[in-house]
Order: sequence, then C-alpha cells, then structure tokens
Amino acid sequence: MDTRRHLEWGVLSAPMVIFLLLFLGFPALVNIVYSLSSVSFQTLRSPELSGFSNYVTVLTDGNFWRAIWFSLRFGTITALAECLIGFVLAIFLAPLFEKRSWLLAIIMLPLMVAPALVGLMYRLVLHEFVGPVPHYLWAWFGSAPAFLNATNAFWTLVVVETLQWTPFAFLLFYMAYRAIPFDVREAAQMDGSSAWDMLWRIEIPLMAPTIAIALFIRFIDGFRVFDNVYVLTGSGPGGSTRSLSIYVYEAFFRQGEIGPAVAASVLLFIASFAVLFAINQGLARRAR
Amino acid sequence: MIVTALRWVVFAIAAFALNFPVIATLVTSFKSSREIATNPGLWIQAPTLENYIAVLQVTDRLNIFAYLWNSTVAALIGTTLAIVLAFPAAYAVARAGYGRRMLMPLIVNLRALPLIIFAIPIYMMFQWVGLLDTQLGLGLILVVVNLPLALVILVNAISEIPVELDEAALMDGAGRTKIITTIIAPVCRSAIVTTFIFGFITAWNEFLFGLMLTTRQAVPMTVGASFFFSSGGGGIQWGTASAVMIVAALPPAVLGLVMYRQISRSLTAGAVKG
Repeated sequence: MDTRRHLEWGVLSAPMVIFLLLFLGFPALVNIVYSLSSVSFQTLRSPELSGFSNYVTVLTDGNFWRAIWFSLRFGTITALAECLIGFVLAIFLAPLFEKRSWLLAIIMLPLMVAPALVGLMYRLVLHEFVGPVPHYLWAWFGSAPAFLNATNAFWTLVVVETLQWTPFAFLLFYMAYRAIPFDVREAAQMDGSSAWDMLWRIEIPLMAPTIAIALFIRFIDGFRVFDNVYVLTGSGPGGSTRSLSIYVYEAFFRQGEIGPAVAASVLLFIASFAVLFAINQGLARRAR
Repeated sequence: MIVTALRWVVFAIAAFALNFPVIATLVTSFKSSREIATNPGLWIQAPTLENYIAVLQVTDRLNIFAYLWNSTVAALIGTTLAIVLAFPAAYAVARAGYGRRMLMPLIVNLRALPLIIFAIPIYMMFQWVGLLDTQLGLGLILVVVNLPLALVILVNAISEIPVELDEAALMDGAGRTKIITTIIAPVCRSAIVTTFIFGFITAWNEFLFGLMLTTRQAVPMTVGASFFFSSGGGGIQWGTASAVMIVAALPPAVLGLVMYRQISRSLTAGAVKG
C-alpha cells in the first residue's frame, strides 16, 4: 500500500484514534507519572518524582495481595460455574427454543439489568427481616445463615454473580450448538452413535472454541468485578470481599492515597495485559 | 414426552432462579410498608401503588427525574458518538484491512481491561477541564466503554456488503465520505440500530464511572438508585427502594426484551470475533 492510499484510509480511523488517545492514552500516561510521584489532593498539579516508593507501598500491603487472591478466586469459580450451568442448560433446553425463540428473552433478562441494581436487589432479597430468602428458609428449615458475614459473603457473591451471568454463557453455547451443521449430526446418527456419544465425540469438540472463549470472558469479568460487590458488601466484613477494583477505588476515594492507588492500577493494568496476552496467544494457537 | 415435560420443568426453574432478584423486587414494590414488615413472602395481600407514587416525589435530596434524564442524555452521547467514531474506522478495517492487525485487537481487548485503571486519571483530567459531574463528561467516558463492541459489530456488517457497490460509486466519481454516508450507512441500518440499542443498554447500566465522576448535577440512574438505600433518618424504606430499582431497570429491560434477537446475535458475534 503506498503512502497516499495509506493516508486516505488512515483519515477514516483518525477521529476514533485521536479520541482514544485522549481518553485512554493520556490517562495511561498520567497513571505512570503519578505512580512514580509523591502526590496528594493538595499537590495534584505538581507531582514530585519519588521513584518506586508507591509500588513498594502497594506490593508490601497485605490487603493488595488479599485483593488479588479474591479476584483470581472469584473470577475462576464464577467462570467455571457459569459455563458449566450454562452449557448443561443450553444442551438440555435447546429443543424447547427451536420453535419458541421468545423463551430466550426470559433467560436473557438478567443480562439487561445493571449489575449494580442486581446487587442492590439482593440487599432486599437477603435481608434478615424483609428478605424473601431468609423468610422461606426460616419457614421451611427453621434457620437461615447470615449471608453477608465474613465467612459467607464470598460465596453469596459467587452465587449472585453466577445467577446474573449464566445466561451469557448459556447464550453463547446455545448459538454454537445450533450452528453445528445438520449433516454432521446425521452422519453420526448413521454410524449408530448414541446421543451421549454424539455429545462427547462431536458436539463438545466442535463447541470447544466457544467454551474457551466463554470461560475467558467470564473469568475476565469476574476478575475485574466492582458494581455488584460494591453495593452489596463494599469491601465486606474484614475486607473479605475486597476485589482488586474495589482496592484501587478505596485507596483513592476513601484514603486519598493517590500515589499508591495509581501504582496499584498500573500493576492491575500490567497483570490484566499479561493475562490477556497469554490467553490471546493460547486462543490463536488453537485456531491454527 | 416425559423428556419434554422435564425440559419444561428445568426451564421454569432456571427462569425463576435467574430472574429471582427481579421477581422479588417487583413483588415487594407493590406492597405497602406495613405489609413488607409482616409478609416478606413472594405474594401480595393488598397490592398498592404507594411506593411508585413515593418514588416520583422530588425532594432536595432525591430526584428520580433528574437521574433518569442524566442517564438518558449520557447514554445517548455515549452511544451516538461511539457509532460516529467507529463507523468510518470500521469501513477502513473492512475494506482495506486498515488497522486489522494492530488497532482492532487493541481496541477489542480494551473491553477486557478493568475500567478502574482509567478511572482515577480520568477523574483528575475531568477536574482540570471542568467535566466532572456533567452529563457530557459521563457521556464521553461511555463512548470509550461502547467503542469496542460498536467497532466489531460494524466491521462485521460492512464486510458483508459487496465491494462492487463501492466500486460502482467510485467509478461515478463519488468520494469515500460520500460512499460511507450515502451508500454504506443506509445498507447497514439494522447493524447500526443493534449497535445503538446494545450501546444504550450498556451505557445505562454502567455504574463505576457514574459513581466516581458525578456527585450532584449529573448523577445517573444506577447511582441515584443507591441513594434510596441510604435515606436520611430511620431505616431503609424497602417499598420505595424496590420501586426505584424497578423504574431504573425498566428502560434497558424493555429494550432488551423487544430486541432480544438482535442482542443475542451481537453478543455472540462480539464474543466470537473478539
């Protein structure tokens, strides 16, 4: 492509690129400079370079590592649960949706509700006096756990997140399942494969790329979780539900520790980038 | 026969469990505050609209109309501008492969980054230029949120249009800008509508930036709803809180239910191509 033509096409992308440079490039730069400076709300415009001390502060903070552990565990468990339930539902319910696609809308509804609102809704649902869940547990079993105490909050949030995002995994799997060509199934049936054989030998292998992508997307979303956790438990009793996103937020807004907060977000950026890069490489290799 | 019945049972359980918070909130929103205290179950003794009437009362602390308006304006900016910026870029990707190797993967992966990374510098940046707590500021940041998927959907749509259409127009002496606005855009109408609906829902449901970048003037509905949970004096008014959540969830839910076909398709396309 010669320079003139290059320019011609480049002009078309220019507005978007300039916009992104302004809203992401510049902030990234600010992040890097401020993470290497000593700065407070009073000296916001005149940061003084201070080396890596902010990074040391963050890396020696036990809460930072606990937040990493929370996010990794939360992302992994919710991704696995969502994909497992979504997969089983997609395969089992597929015949129902064949002629009644409007049923999909009912399953998809949770995806349309803001995670922050869903989190708020659970404050009602799980409330010990006015919440229906404790009410029925008391009525049927004579006791109800404290869903949001230090020991249970993590698993309560896992269930909250899983119930909201299982439809996403379901949808991807249902679409992939439907996209399997009819003659592939027919050929397998001619060979006398049972439905079970067909599932393991043909359908799951054909759906493998979709499964990998769904796990990836759900892990990333769980890893960076903020909205529903923030409104439901904040950082939780004893910091038991402090995700990395909440860690950065609290450092900045609650404690006004701008330097460490920014250093933590740079570390979060590097970590996310490394994970993304690794997974992209993995997916690309599979595709080949 | 039995299997089909079983499928229906599983579907009913799944639909109920997945939508449980919405169902419980909807039921509670029609109960009087006295009934909420005595009957937390999933049935209503005496349905009432008092909570919805209460929600619509404007006080100096709470103003649901302002939240709805802020969300609408910010989401419209965030969606429209994202499409305007992404469309010509998508055309360059689809027709010349311009940016397919670097720009496209970079932007698509943007969707996977924790937004909080950019929230702090954007907060400072907005403070410097006076965009903090404005609908425009919130709208601009929602553009960033919406761009990746808009780009993917539009690239897919433009790729499906035969190149001959462009070539014929080029022969007639039309420039690229003219081709994009008068030939390509009209053909992509349905993709643009899908991008718009999807972007609007995403923007409406965004919470983190609303929480960080607004305080009084430009508070969006998702953040405003949480204000009802910290009512000054006395405990939380659960009836009012339920009604406000239903109102806040309604616009994207209705859009989603009406457009579920397009949304499911673009969700899948976005995931697979991303």
